[in-house]
Amino acid sequence: MYREKIIWIKIETNNYYKVLIKLNNIGVTLYDNEKIKDCILIKTTYSDYKRIKRYLVSYKISIYSSSGLEKTLGILKKYEVFVVSIIIGIIILFLANNMIFKVEVKSSNKGIQELLVRELNQYGLGKMKLKKNHKKVELIVNKILDDNKDNLEWLEVKYEGLIMIVNVTEKTKTENSEEYPRCNIVASTDAKITSLNIYRGVPLKEINDYVLKGEVILSGDIIHNEEIKNTVCASGEIYGEVWYNVKVEIPFKESYVKYTGKNRYNLSIELDDNKYQIFRSRIMKMKEEKTNLYKLNDFEINLVKEKEYITETKILSEEEAYNKGINKALEKVNLTLEDNEEILLKKVLKKDVNDSKIYLEIFIVTKENIGVLQVVREEVENGVESNT
Amino acid sequence: MKNLHFRDSFKNFLFDLEDFITIYENHLHVFNYQKLNNLSETEIILSFNKMKVIISGVNLKIKQMTKQELLINGKILKVEFSYV
Repeated sequence: MYREKIIWIKIETNNYYKVLIKLNNIGVTLYDNEKIKDCILIKTTYSDYKRIKRYLVSYKISIYSSSGLEKTLGILKKYEVFVVSIIIGIIILFLANNMIFKVEVKSSNKGIQELLVRELNQYGLGKMKLKKNHKKVELIVNKILDDNKDNLEWLEVKYEGLIMIVNVTEKTKTENSEEYPRCNIVASTDAKITSLNIYRGVPLKEINDYVLKGEVILSGDIIHNEEIKNTVCASGEIYGEVWYNVKVEIPFKESYVKYTGKNRYNLSIELDDNKYQIFRSRIMKMKEEKTNLYKLNDFEINLVKEKEYITETKILSEEEAYNKGINKALEKVNLTLEDNEEILLKKVLKKDVNDSKIYLEIFIVTKENIGVLQVVREEVENGVESNT
Repeated sequence: MKNLHFRDSFKNFLFDLEDFITIYENHLHVFNYQKLNNLSETEIILSFNKMKVIISGVNLKIKQMTKQELLINGKILKVEFSYV
């Protein structure tokens, strides 16, 4: 059974009795009433409230308290502009987060660009289309890679704001003897050879031999009786011990950043490298973490998380500074290493300590791939050989 | 032979035509009134179908009100009926 909503309304008047007669005349149902200073509170139905509003035009009447839908509608009506702005904002946010406004294929090959745009469109990823989640994108990428095995080596689709960025690696033919009829493998640095895996070519050095930078290790010339009988493109994997002398200095006084846990959110607009913040930042020292909400060419709207931090100072002991110095040196060398390459040995050669710093000289031995391809081009006209 | 007023009783049952006033301590319940003629702190005048009722008292207030019923609150001193 439908039960009409009961609300309390407020009528501003000094004459309680006159108002009640008027309410009686227009047939209002009164469940309760209370006279307070300069006004009457009346408990009645919502439809009677509307009738009172229509007939008692000379009085100031308002809803004092209500519940349920009426209350919600009342609040919505009161903050109409704000609510509409929020709704529009949510729609823009939804579009900004979920629409693709531009597709950027990172390839200089126009054919590949067109192919990818066409393929992605076929699976519903394209301009003015909704973004898909990570799993679906992964499936699409795999399908495209399967369909284009001959052209594509690797494919990645990611979103940056409203832009869908497609990173692609085309399939290229590997260097072979057909492309380079004559080439050598030379040492990329001074080293001691520790392993030689020869696929093609003639070794000029052996394991445990020391080589200088640029020295030929594997030759592409097939020599018989001091005469070049044939030329090939030498190939192989050559690992050797490489030596580094790393100098580091570590101050005993160390400053570090400590986050206080106090965070504030802000909005920023970026236009042509100019940054404008919507709200004034109340944090003095902070680190900003940006989340892109909207991006169109050079125009960006970002949600900025401002994380407050303080700078604290720590005094390191000599041992701590020493260990830190060694780690720093190892880290420095490690950055230059690739897969299958490693640090074999570390030794501190020199250690100087003064009041504020520790100086270390560290000898580091690594195992590295030292062979690099050197193409030998014969300039027939001049009869001169050139190495590249 | 006793008159049963069958038709009137049935009509009254369906439409609640009969009016009545019930007096409690500090409260007065009125049913089926026709019009609220006057309302003040000391006097309330009501019209019924065949009579007029004048309620006198102190600090009189209308507690609840519908088109048919009234619940009056206050110190009731006198209820007068005048038939028209």
